[in-house]
Amino acid sequence: MTRVSMARVFNPRFGSSPISLGIPIVVFIFLIFAAPHFIGGENLSNLVNQIVVLLIGSLGQLVVALVGGIDLSIGSLVSLTSCVLSTQDSLVTAIPLCIGLAVLVGTANGVGTAVFGVHPLIMTFSMATFLQGVAYFILPAPSSAIPAGLQALAQSNIGGAPIAIVWCVAAVGVTYVLLRRSQLALHFYAIGASPPNAHLNGLRVVPSIIAAYIFCSLSAVCAGLFLSARVASADPTMGGPLALDSITAIALGNVQLSGGIGGVLGAVTGALTLGLLANGMNLMGISPFVRSAFTGVLLLVAISLQKRKVIGL
Amino acid sequence: MTTVAEPRAASPIAATWRWLVGLPPAYPLLAILLGIAYFTHPHLLAPLFLMLMLRQAAPLGLATIGQSLVIRCRSIDLSSAGIMAVTSYILTSGTVPVPPLAAIALCILVGLFIGFVNGVIITVRKASAVIVTLAMSIILTGVVIAFSQFRAPGDVPQILKDVVTSRIGGIPVAPMLWILVLFPLYYVDRFTVFGRYVRAVGSNPLAAEMSGVPHARIVLVAHTVSGLFSVLSCFFLLGFVGVGTVNIGQDLALNSLSASILGGVNFGAGKGGMWGPAAAAFMLTFLFNFLTSFGLGEPGKLMLQGLIVIVAAIAYSKRQT
Repeated sequence: MTRVSMARVFNPRFGSSPISLGIPIVVFIFLIFAAPHFIGGENLSNLVNQIVVLLIGSLGQLVVALVGGIDLSIGSLVSLTSCVLSTQDSLVTAIPLCIGLAVLVGTANGVGTAVFGVHPLIMTFSMATFLQGVAYFILPAPSSAIPAGLQALAQSNIGGAPIAIVWCVAAVGVTYVLLRRSQLALHFYAIGASPPNAHLNGLRVVPSIIAAYIFCSLSAVCAGLFLSARVASADPTMGGPLALDSITAIALGNVQLSGGIGGVLGAVTGALTLGLLANGMNLMGISPFVRSAFTGVLLLVAISLQKRKVIGL
Repeated sequence: MTTVAEPRAASPIAATWRWLVGLPPAYPLLAILLGIAYFTHPHLLAPLFLMLMLRQAAPLGLATIGQSLVIRCRSIDLSSAGIMAVTSYILTSGTVPVPPLAAIALCILVGLFIGFVNGVIITVRKASAVIVTLAMSIILTGVVIAFSQFRAPGDVPQILKDVVTSRIGGIPVAPMLWILVLFPLYYVDRFTVFGRYVRAVGSNPLAAEMSGVPHARIVLVAHTVSGLFSVLSCFFLLGFVGVGTVNIGQDLALNSLSASILGGVNFGAGKGGMWGPAAAAFMLTFLFNFLTSFGLGEPGKLMLQGLIVIVAAIAYSKRQT
């Protein structure tokens, strides 16, 4: 790698550091030797299938984190998406309905935080409670009634490779273009660094923050679509841990929750690390509780090594 | 010496109105809830029921004390679920071979220590408080569950059950303890150097630091105290339940956050003092019971609960600006 491109990868604005980049590589190499059957077509395609939902959720969380927000509602939104899907017979009506839902939820989160100044933790946690209630209301118990053709969105193969790869590439591609090639991204970074300064420089802060939350909700709905299609059923608790997992993932990727610092690479390496750990330790027969404790330690170490300037949130 | 004139010579009514409008949302919400209950479910207002609810609110109230202190310093503590899992394990698993009183003391020390570690990582390594405390919770819960996976939960020490569920003159002790704790804390908050320092750090960390306030040390102390209150809150919960469980107090971290905000304590602003968050903890507990008494079922309950917190938070934030 040349000096110039190194500088681009480790541009402080994108947050990626040799540590955040190195962790998944080290974990990967470790698992090659430690976990039986880790390197095999079947397991690798499993791995991709397991990572998609977390990856898409983390990319959404990343965009919200860039404007200094946080979204705890994406787990409930994933659950709600699957419940909404179960009420529809055809994808033609189901998908627009889900997108409408995402826009609605994202707008509400954005307006609550940007216009009314409610702290994003409170706003999105209350939203999560509300959405969970709606999900139970629509579908009290898991059901296998999902729209015809939905399964194909997650369970088919393209040239021997699982279609999940297409979802990953599309999600990463869209977010990359948004954050590297659009003017909106420039506004996101400016607002995350300092909302008052962004406002004084003529940026329209409120619409940009709302846009970030809508993007995050859209990504949650995509994750919900994929997850419902993969397990071919709807479940009002399906999205459960996604909100905290996605925050863990972006934190591993050194995305700063205080805003203004982070990049697609960070979200990808973070999601990859969590996915590799889950998959690898499962192969090694380690209890999921030990794995979650290990994830916590890794997170604590990673975040302690990447020092910030301010104390607090 | 001239007296400084009030900017606006307000009539007593206008002044009262402004005071009312400036109150944290917990008070008006509680008044509204009690008002509705008076007409729809008067039995909820019977002293016996109110006592029960006050008792039920005590664990949330204690957790909220710690949380609100940390929030005043512009930090946050999401580690209570993990601390509670450890407390429950020490007290009920039977794997820690010490007498009950020693086990209780050990829990308090562990709570202080975990809070201290949180604080050290947050202040010395300057890591994000959300992530540090979240990670701490994940680690502790994971380790405890891994240890206690194949073991039946044991009983809570009798002495803890006795203290927490006892009554003096018909009044349950648990809420009394909670309210008694509030008085010295009110004093600390209002009249001590530490209280002033917390306020200074909260309103402007940089200015506080430059004026010689030991910024990092204040945040460290706040986190240590918050760890302690998670343990105390867990004592109450365990005493009520009587049997150990590692899933205890799962929603306490975020509910105590809601209670702090609705009680007027926001990141960096401690307007609600000690009583605001306490009132909010009672209000939330009353709200949960109230919604249940309507027979709404889980879905309606969750929806209303989310909506009410959002609306209250919006109404409050809107007024402040």
